[in-house]
Amino acid sequence: MISLVRYLAADVFRGQRFLAPLLVFLGVMGMLFSSDAGQPLEAYAGSSALLYPVAAWMAVVVATSEDVVRRGITVVSAGGWSRVLTAAALVAVAIALAMALLAAVWPVVTNPHPYTFGEFLIGLAAHTACALLGVGVGLMFARPVFDAIGRTVLAVFAVVVLTYPLGRVTPLGWVLDALGHNSFSLSVLWAAVVGAALVSGAVVVGVRRA
Amino acid sequence: MDGYLDGVLLDQVSKRYGRGPWVLRDLTLEVSGLVVLTGANGTGKSTLLKIAAGVLRPTSGRVVRPASVGYVPERFPSDVKMSASSYLAHMGRIRCAAAGDVLERLGFVGSLTAPMAELSKGNAQKVALAQAFLAADLLVLDEPWTGLDPAASAELVSLLEGRTALVSDHEGHLASATRVDLAGGHVTIELSRVVGLEALEALEGVWSVLSRGSSARVVVAPDRSDHVLAEALRLGCSVRSVR
Repeated sequence: MISLVRYLAADVFRGQRFLAPLLVFLGVMGMLFSSDAGQPLEAYAGSSALLYPVAAWMAVVVATSEDVVRRGITVVSAGGWSRVLTAAALVAVAIALAMALLAAVWPVVTNPHPYTFGEFLIGLAAHTACALLGVGVGLMFARPVFDAIGRTVLAVFAVVVLTYPLGRVTPLGWVLDALGHNSFSLSVLWAAVVGAALVSGAVVVGVRRA
Repeated sequence: MDGYLDGVLLDQVSKRYGRGPWVLRDLTLEVSGLVVLTGANGTGKSTLLKIAAGVLRPTSGRVVRPASVGYVPERFPSDVKMSASSYLAHMGRIRCAAAGDVLERLGFVGSLTAPMAELSKGNAQKVALAQAFLAADLLVLDEPWTGLDPAASAELVSLLEGRTALVSDHEGHLASATRVDLAGGHVTIELSRVVGLEALEALEGVWSVLSRGSSARVVVAPDRSDHVLAEALRLGCSVRSVR
């Protein structure tokens, strides 16, 4: 599995499609924290809301990095779809978690309000939850669940856009609501659990659809 | 499903894409040694090879294959950013297999460190073959001679000697191999005033039934067309055409 993860990660980084979501993430993070971003946990709300669509976008990039033909060769070499889709999910989650860590550290360095270690951990948990939710949504609609990239983009875009107005109905809303009130609640951890379940579900659906 | 010695068994395998026509119907094939698939375009050779390799699942039927399978698709992609050496190293690590001398024997010419997108068609095909030959048990090769020069073609024949492989080939490179012909084509029967659609669909040899109002187009295996025609008439359908 480690060699498969390494191969898929190398393939993603050889391509240049990962640059677009990464640059959007870095650019908006720069804008969010260019001045006083507010109380420690409030400041995390904006970057958490940003990480959700960026992680979904990055997950689609990872899932579609190999074309259909090369993916077929990889599936045969690795011994089945489940191993390849699990490895692709691990790559997407690893990249998303790296962005979550960066987003949690960024305001600690740039925000004029001091952060305690506990607040940093809450921010990291919140970003992790949003990253997992984004990866889950991205993988749920990417190949092999949806074959055409156009349908993937439309479905992911629709789900991501619809998530925000639904507010506290969604796990993303639980996280943003808690951070917006400058507080921590267990719902943040539950959101992370839902995100992890979504990623696992996307792998299962992908294996069944392949 | 794995673990069938070093060959592959396809048992009563059928395949259709979505609700489209049947590409393969009730095909049983046991591969041990060298087996060459022949047949006209569109007879399902590539689909059968994908099922044998494990890229596709059959719609129905059972496939038993060994643990280590190597697969070469009909067309190796031409826009791969990774270099040939990196790609083969990764594939070797995934399989826990040491790189062989296949590239050298096939006469690979060009840069192993440049992106594969910069390789010629023939050299890219040699990389595709090299990754497949990392497999220990079964090779599934879809028109593997595509793009190869005569010397490399002859060397590929030599490399396949003694291996268990399922190969599609239009050009007769493997004269001594067992041949399986997927050809046979199909017969299309146009019916009107159709009754008993379910009974027609259930008949042996019927690959697809497309109904439009009271009409239907029935695609049938050639050797069963007479039987299906007789049954359609017995059910009270009118036959508009057979072709």
